[in-house]
Amino acid sequence: MDELKLSEIKQEINKDRRGFIKNVLSGTIAGSLLMVIPAGAMEFPQQIPGMKDETGTFITKKKFAFIVDITRCIGCGSCCVADKNEYKVPEGNYRTWVERYIIDDHDNVFVDAPNGGLDGYTEPREDVTNPVRDTFFVPKLCNMCEKPSCTQVCPVGATYQTEDGFVLVDDKRCVACSYCVQACPYSVRFINPVTKTADKCTWCYHRVRKGLLPACVNVCPVQARKFGDLNDKKSEIYKIMRLPHVISVLKHGMGNKPSLHYLGLRREVV
Amino acid sequence: MQGVAETATTVAGYAFPNDFHVHWSLMIVLYPYITGIVAGAFIVSSLYHVFHIQALKPIARFSLLFAFAFLACATLPLLNHLGHPERALNMFLTPNPYSAMAGFGYIYSAYGIVLLLEILFIYRETLVKLKEQASGFMKTVYNVLSMGSDNIGSRALALDHKVIGFLAAIGIPMACILHGYVGFIFGGVKANPLWATPLMPVIFLLSACVSGIAGIIVTYMILKIGKVDMECIRSCIKFLWGFFILDFVFEMLEIGMHAYQATHHWHALHELFWGPLYQSYWTYQVLIFSVIPFFILMGLSLIRFPDLIVKFFGFIASAMILFQVLLMRWNVVIGGQLMSKSEQGVVGFHPEWIEKEGIIPAIIIMVLPIVILFILSKVFPFWLPAESTSNSSK
Amino acid sequence: MEPEYKSKYNAHLIKVILVLIVLGVGVVAAQALFIPRDFGEHGHYRTSAIEDEMNRLVRNQTNESCLKCHPYIKKIHLSGVHKTVSCEFCHGPNADHAVDEKKIADMPVKRGEEIKALCLRCHNKIIRARPEESIKMIAMPQHLEEKRVQTTHICNQCHHVHDPMKWVIEAKKAHGLIKEKEGLFPWMN
Repeated sequence: MDELKLSEIKQEINKDRRGFIKNVLSGTIAGSLLMVIPAGAMEFPQQIPGMKDETGTFITKKKFAFIVDITRCIGCGSCCVADKNEYKVPEGNYRTWVERYIIDDHDNVFVDAPNGGLDGYTEPREDVTNPVRDTFFVPKLCNMCEKPSCTQVCPVGATYQTEDGFVLVDDKRCVACSYCVQACPYSVRFINPVTKTADKCTWCYHRVRKGLLPACVNVCPVQARKFGDLNDKKSEIYKIMRLPHVISVLKHGMGNKPSLHYLGLRREVV
Repeated sequence: MQGVAETATTVAGYAFPNDFHVHWSLMIVLYPYITGIVAGAFIVSSLYHVFHIQALKPIARFSLLFAFAFLACATLPLLNHLGHPERALNMFLTPNPYSAMAGFGYIYSAYGIVLLLEILFIYRETLVKLKEQASGFMKTVYNVLSMGSDNIGSRALALDHKVIGFLAAIGIPMACILHGYVGFIFGGVKANPLWATPLMPVIFLLSACVSGIAGIIVTYMILKIGKVDMECIRSCIKFLWGFFILDFVFEMLEIGMHAYQATHHWHALHELFWGPLYQSYWTYQVLIFSVIPFFILMGLSLIRFPDLIVKFFGFIASAMILFQVLLMRWNVVIGGQLMSKSEQGVVGFHPEWIEKEGIIPAIIIMVLPIVILFILSKVFPFWLPAESTSNSSK
Repeated sequence: MEPEYKSKYNAHLIKVILVLIVLGVGVVAAQALFIPRDFGEHGHYRTSAIEDEMNRLVRNQTNESCLKCHPYIKKIHLSGVHKTVSCEFCHGPNADHAVDEKKIADMPVKRGEEIKALCLRCHNKIIRARPEESIKMIAMPQHLEEKRVQTTHICNQCHHVHDPMKWVIEAKKAHGLIKEKEGLFPWMN
């Protein structure tokens, strides 16, 4: 990473204010500059302790995990709204969504997710005639697989797994062949119609690196989404993983080893 | 329409919200179709050049040019499909060794080089002779194509013969790799139960041979109307039937195996085959365009009918098989995406006529090889002079 | 007798081989020229792509950052059951409102039916699938009928959106229905 001093930045600004702003806007020198400016100008509340020390290319001391607590989710769609706002996700594409499950006493499973739950759930399901046995909401997002299919199939190295376990997309190299979209067993990927590149949930990597929680975790009013460090014995994540709950992952048989875990996952969930 | 992916029109059951888009649409249907025709046509030529099936001699040269015309267009649907076609060369710069798709650039280029060299060496003697008669621009063209050489002495031709044998020999495995590999791209997607079968490369390869032979028969009969070599047509039909038996049987075995195993995947596949794919798969691909030509070809292969009947029904059956393979590509490529990975829902899809990856661009891409073939015909003589008597030229 | 030819018998083959070698060298040279320098340092990707992702603009802030500039709302919001509700869920992302803690545009404030829709996203009983214990749910318009108000009432006519029981508790205290220090929900104390 470039180490640009603030004084140098000021000099640069005085030299050619207009050109400088233009460059920042067009992104040519944004990369290294934005890393420096927020540190002084914008203080983020540190929701993840210790992230200030993680200044290297990869996060070294932490092992992040994401837990979705199905027993708590109320299906309000706050997470979907926050996500859409954070990334300006184009209409009809979803980095995250919330499914509604209704299981009747004949084991018929009714699932829906109108507009991915973005507008909340306003209507009851009318086609459930038998008495309901079980009903719950399931938020979905990137499973951040330990063995991701998407990075395996990407022909050009535009989607990759960092050494700290995040699966990210390089939108400057992606050719939008859609192979990763086909390969993802969880259908969390899409081709962003604005950038015309593959896109997906990143567990808000940019926020996490600044010490903030993922946008969806931050807004969840009932703490159904939990994000934290498995190496931190005081973290809620660490404690939950050590309790005798039902903790499972989606499509275990795919062999992708997701690091997204579900608390209270029913077998009917796909 | 969003321009990147087509949006499904109807939904039954529960589909994941991102699965409403059919990312691989008509263009990706055409891509395996075109490479399949390339591989199949090359195999026809190799049957003569490597396996010495003498009856196929009249079309041995033509089928190479036919393959080349289609190969020249094989990347067009892909480039039209990519969201960032200007970055397509990234496939050559940083091919991911673990990606089933990354090899495409190199395999395609290598095969293109082999095919081009094979054509140039086979045609060299003819091209040198044409160069002597030509003048002006055409002389330059022939000079480049004959690789600047005028030597058609026995020693030079013997060397050419060796090179041709070598190229044809490595060309067969390369044609198989090119198309088997296209099948691998689909077969390797474990997330999609319709695609994820080790049989996928086999089926793709066999259907490639079938479409190549059928394509050659159809164009040969159109171009040489009234003057076709009947022995050649009769053996082509036998080869077509032979490959089609394997192709069709494997296609049916694959779906039969799925149905018999009846894993949880089958429930999703069942919804698909008896839902949005019912017409295009059962009615068109299987019943009309497989069963009917299958029996026509069987009749033509087993019974010696008069020439006119062989020509007429041979043409019909070949044209039907060309369409069968296109349907098969559609049902695999589009069909696989109509089933949501939720395995609880299927979506419907109808292509638009006018849009980036719509029907009109598809037609243009399928017409282009014909145009290229026409241009090639101005440079390369498709047919040997006095086919029945000449046996001097390779 | 063979006629004399200008070219050697193998001249064309040698040319072809030379062209193929040049092509091969060209590919290697192009790779050396055009592959980003930091590609492949840690894996089959561009290292600076991580930095690009890191530098993405943070558009949603935390409640803490919002309430820093809104002390009055802070007092109300943090005192009630809605303290876990995100400001930005109803008002939109911070980035559209302030840059470096300086206001650039007004935040949308929801009115009327919009408020009702927002409330019902969490509190609507009829959609099922909600765990009863984690949230208080009501059915509309039964709730309004039960409370004997007009069915055209909007939620915020009785409930302060930032602290829903604020006015209810104050009214009950004023009427002596509950004691000064008691809340409506014992588990909230």
